[in-house]
Amino acid sequence: MKTLTKKTISAAVVASLVGLSSAAHAFTACQVTDIGGVDDKGFNATAWKGVQDAVAKHGIDSKLLESKSETDYMPHLGSFVAEGCDVIVSVGFLMGEATATAAKENSNSKFSIVDFAYNPTIPNVVGQVFATDQAAFLAGYLAAGVSKTGIVGTFGGINIPPVTVFMDGFAAGVSHHNEMKGTSVQVLGWDPSAKEGLFTGNFNSLEDGRAFAQNLYDEGADIVMPVAGPVSQGSAALAAELGTDNLMIIGVDADQYIKDAKNKSVYLTSVLKAMDATVMGVIESVMDGSFEGGLTVGTLANNGVGIAPFHDLSSAVSSELAAEIESIRSGIIDGSISVN
Amino acid sequence: MMDYLKKKFVSEHLDVKEILLVPIFATFFALTIGCLFLLATGEGLKNIFIAYSSLFIGSLGSLNALSETFTAATPLIFAALGIALAFRAGLFNIGAEGQMIIGGMAAVIVGFSIDFLPVWLHLPLALSVGALFGAMYASIAGWLKASTGAHEVISTIMLNLIAIRLLDYMLRSPIIQKEGRNDPISKSVLNTSELPQLLSFIDPQLRLHAGFLVMLGTVLLIYWLLFHTTIGYEFRSTGANPNAAKYAGIKATFTIVLVMFIAGALAGLAGANQITGVLGRASPGFSASIGFDAIAVALLGRSHPIGVLFAGLLFGALIAGGRLMQVKAGVSVDLITIIQALIIVFIAAPLLVRRAVPWIFKEDIKKDK
Amino acid sequence: MVSIELKNISKSFGPVTANKDINIFAKGGEILGLLGENGAGKTTLMNVLSGLYRPDSGTISINNEEKTFDSPRDAISAGIGMVHQHFMLVPIFSVTENVILGNEETGFANFLKLSESERKVKEISEKYSLFVDPKEKIERLPVGSQQRVEIIKVLFRSAEVLIFDEPTAVLTPQEVAELFNIMNSLKATGKAIIFITHKLHEVLEVCDRISILRAGEIVGEADPKVASNKELANMMVGRPVNLSLERRSSKPGKILLDVKNLSVLSEKLDLAVSDISFDVKEGEIVGVAGVQGNGQTELVEALTGLRSSLSGKISYFGQMVPNMNPRKIHQIGVRHIPEDRQKSGIIGNFSVGENLILNNYYAAPYSKHLKMDWDVVSIESQKIIKNFDIRTPSNDTLAQNLSGGNQQKLVVGREMSSHVDFLIASQPTRGIDVGSIEYIHEQLIKSRNAGNGILLVSTELEEILALSDRIIVLFRGRIIKEFESNPAPEQIGLAMAGHSI
Repeated sequence: MKTLTKKTISAAVVASLVGLSSAAHAFTACQVTDIGGVDDKGFNATAWKGVQDAVAKHGIDSKLLESKSETDYMPHLGSFVAEGCDVIVSVGFLMGEATATAAKENSNSKFSIVDFAYNPTIPNVVGQVFATDQAAFLAGYLAAGVSKTGIVGTFGGINIPPVTVFMDGFAAGVSHHNEMKGTSVQVLGWDPSAKEGLFTGNFNSLEDGRAFAQNLYDEGADIVMPVAGPVSQGSAALAAELGTDNLMIIGVDADQYIKDAKNKSVYLTSVLKAMDATVMGVIESVMDGSFEGGLTVGTLANNGVGIAPFHDLSSAVSSELAAEIESIRSGIIDGSISVN
Repeated sequence: MMDYLKKKFVSEHLDVKEILLVPIFATFFALTIGCLFLLATGEGLKNIFIAYSSLFIGSLGSLNALSETFTAATPLIFAALGIALAFRAGLFNIGAEGQMIIGGMAAVIVGFSIDFLPVWLHLPLALSVGALFGAMYASIAGWLKASTGAHEVISTIMLNLIAIRLLDYMLRSPIIQKEGRNDPISKSVLNTSELPQLLSFIDPQLRLHAGFLVMLGTVLLIYWLLFHTTIGYEFRSTGANPNAAKYAGIKATFTIVLVMFIAGALAGLAGANQITGVLGRASPGFSASIGFDAIAVALLGRSHPIGVLFAGLLFGALIAGGRLMQVKAGVSVDLITIIQALIIVFIAAPLLVRRAVPWIFKEDIKKDK
Repeated sequence: MVSIELKNISKSFGPVTANKDINIFAKGGEILGLLGENGAGKTTLMNVLSGLYRPDSGTISINNEEKTFDSPRDAISAGIGMVHQHFMLVPIFSVTENVILGNEETGFANFLKLSESERKVKEISEKYSLFVDPKEKIERLPVGSQQRVEIIKVLFRSAEVLIFDEPTAVLTPQEVAELFNIMNSLKATGKAIIFITHKLHEVLEVCDRISILRAGEIVGEADPKVASNKELANMMVGRPVNLSLERRSSKPGKILLDVKNLSVLSEKLDLAVSDISFDVKEGEIVGVAGVQGNGQTELVEALTGLRSSLSGKISYFGQMVPNMNPRKIHQIGVRHIPEDRQKSGIIGNFSVGENLILNNYYAAPYSKHLKMDWDVVSIESQKIIKNFDIRTPSNDTLAQNLSGGNQQKLVVGREMSSHVDFLIASQPTRGIDVGSIEYIHEQLIKSRNAGNGILLVSTELEEILALSDRIIVLFRGRIIKEFESNPAPEQIGLAMAGHSI
């Protein structure tokens, strides 16, 4: 009897404590990461920065669930629905199906997914996609202009549209440079017409990042753009060993000069996807009641995409080249230059 | 090393103290040390309390929590049964992950390609083809060991790597890859090959599926096989004392191939269970390291089918509870991995547990001396 | 002169009392025999003496000075030296290197003073007639010489009290005689010697006094000059023991086992059995004598289908067995008591019942269509437990929890409870108590008298002499000598050492 009372009391304490935390219910924005984890220095991290920016600006609550495997996606989304999140942000193309299923089953909850567009759209999901090829085009042009060997390289995580769109833009930027300047800079690792190229098959092996960059370097490339989340840190480590005279890296998603501080000096630039801005935009739309399912597209024009400053390597970029890039940027925005 | 592991992790008879009390205390101590980790990372006491109460509530505290615990435990237990069985026969099957992948692939192909069968034929067919392919895949390692003496640890690890790459390759083949997709992902299985949800009449979001019942039946079947058939007797004697087994006229080569076949079937079933019960399709990494976690489950369960059942439920509970812990307390999911590892450490060093709570294990300590 | 006295030593492990109120003493210039069966508490007592265990109560005095040992090191520095049953030598080291191991004298910059140590080893070996070459590698020495190295090791650490723990187990009769000479010369120089053994005739031969240990207590003392084998055995076992076996004279009948020109390779692909021929007839026991490691193991494995033979013929009951394997051999009625019960005779963490069906689990009545019938196993195994006097709490007890003697009776019971036509008994009584030995010997004789053929392989010469109708002696894989009946032990001893004359 005595033990029973004890148990009842402690159960009550548990209930009240847990109850307390949810009773003081503020607006809560929740994010589910894909298997890269929140510290991937890539899109999971950038999207989470958007959530944190909203927390700082509006004093809302935030919650995070990191997926360890694909089997986590559905239950993680379900947990947040049960938790009563006001908006649930999922990150990554690979979560597309799980997010759609969860959204259809819970039509009262509001979702937003980074890097996925539904066709047709779902009324309670905002897809956030990015005209990454526009920014990657600039990076490709830059790389072609900076390369001394006349060979640049790229590789991806897996062959899916949000990855290959970088590589498409990059290759197109290089050929634009070849056309304009009469150069014959080669792109290794991606064939835009065949849609085939180099892929590590994962988004987490730094060892692969090193090995793939080494292969490209051995083939003569002196600038490499890895499109594989944290894998690129392995490539950066290699570049730091070889020295930037031999190998430079172009980062993706966020400004890797800031994110990957250990090897920051090897980044020529980064192809930016301002997911933090779009994520925060979606959160604000839920807060002010203007949320509507559909699509937001980040472009050069609305600063949803862009390229990062050259930082330590600005000396490698001639002022003419920098000026050409600026004029191409305006050309893309006004439509006079096509990135395809 | 095998001898050491056997001594630590094989329990020949169902001893309540060995199979239940040691793991329970091991879990308790692991949680305590986990708590110290949290303190060291600067978590407040209140948040730690929330974290642990959520771990409990998230795994046992509601119907949904139980459903999640059972759903997570099911494939772990399937695969761990296979590892435990092989372990009993003296083989360290590291290959459950690869066998799961092959079994899951086979199940997904049966699941989407056959569209004329009723559910009561299609589903069992998908499961058994999954089991069969897992079994055949594992038999390769068994056959290599029996015919050439190649160590099963090495060959199963290599077969894992092959399976992972084979999966990547097959997911891109036009027959398997989902229409209109560039990324490696298979077509979805048809409704007729899906394991029915058990609690959908209460709430369609409760994911618990019939694979759980198949798993319970399999636990009993393996128990029966191990302790009530001549095959089980042969497995156990080969594992416990290979010289005595040879003396008794038991053919080691046949036993090795057979036990790997059955172990592979169980791992294949784990894969098929995930495909037809949870995921509905295959993608890279669908096996989610379950085949590796299952090694810990098998060891924790002392390679006894009933022990494996409880160990699997414990790991399932940690997975399900860990989710709520992350949600409520914002504690990293890595803590769960640390706790799982600590539990294994305490199980591997039962003396540590016994010394810590001597009044429970009074007689045993004296016996140890 | 040195003296050592143990007063009221008690030591228990939980509920088990291993030593109770033990009083023994030994003084320089005498050999004390400590006689007891396995499990009587000899080993515990020696571990107390050598500092491995601390007694619960009681005192150890050396030269009337009370000592407490916290570690083996303390015991060694107090002058106590153990000569272990299992040698603790590094095979690839030289004699000197082994002797100084753990006690190395070093000079400038920590270099070993090897030549000085060698000189010291030589000195000791000459003083006590322990002839070994200080520079020889251990792996090249015969067993008897390895034991001498163990003794030198102890003397090198200036031991005054020497304890010999079952030292004769691995020696040939000649080597035993040499060991006794050494012990006597040690005694003559004033050392105190404690000689632990379970062999009656040895204590009678070499000791000055005898203390008998039974169930953890000293149950009596005896004077070897007047005591008899029988008295000692009775004290050791605690009841009258029948040492002489009644044996009807053998009436050999048909040939049951016929071996012709058999050669067998060992694990290392050496020729372990080389071109041997012999037979065993109905109603006789043929003893295979020899020092351990002269091909007995490989011979038995070849005869039981565990090892394939290189050449030659094996026929049972007048027929060759095609594709010999252990199961087939068992099925035609050959039973096998393996030489090492721990290694292949029993499965330690199987129950007694599970162990009793090891050879026939696959057949009715124990199983049918792959399904085990544990009820039948339980009934049948209880019968065997009763018939063969296996002392076990139940048939569910794990075999590893039985004493050595009962484990062996389990093996014997399993092999002899079903119909026997021919029995191969390899070391059937190694390391077990006198009571069990007596019982197993009776069973063998009974089986022989019933007309079965038995091949008895043993390194215990006494056992061979007591049971065999004919004896063959193996030396380096060959039959070096055959004896028809009741030869003198010395002759067999010579043959075991390789003398064919």
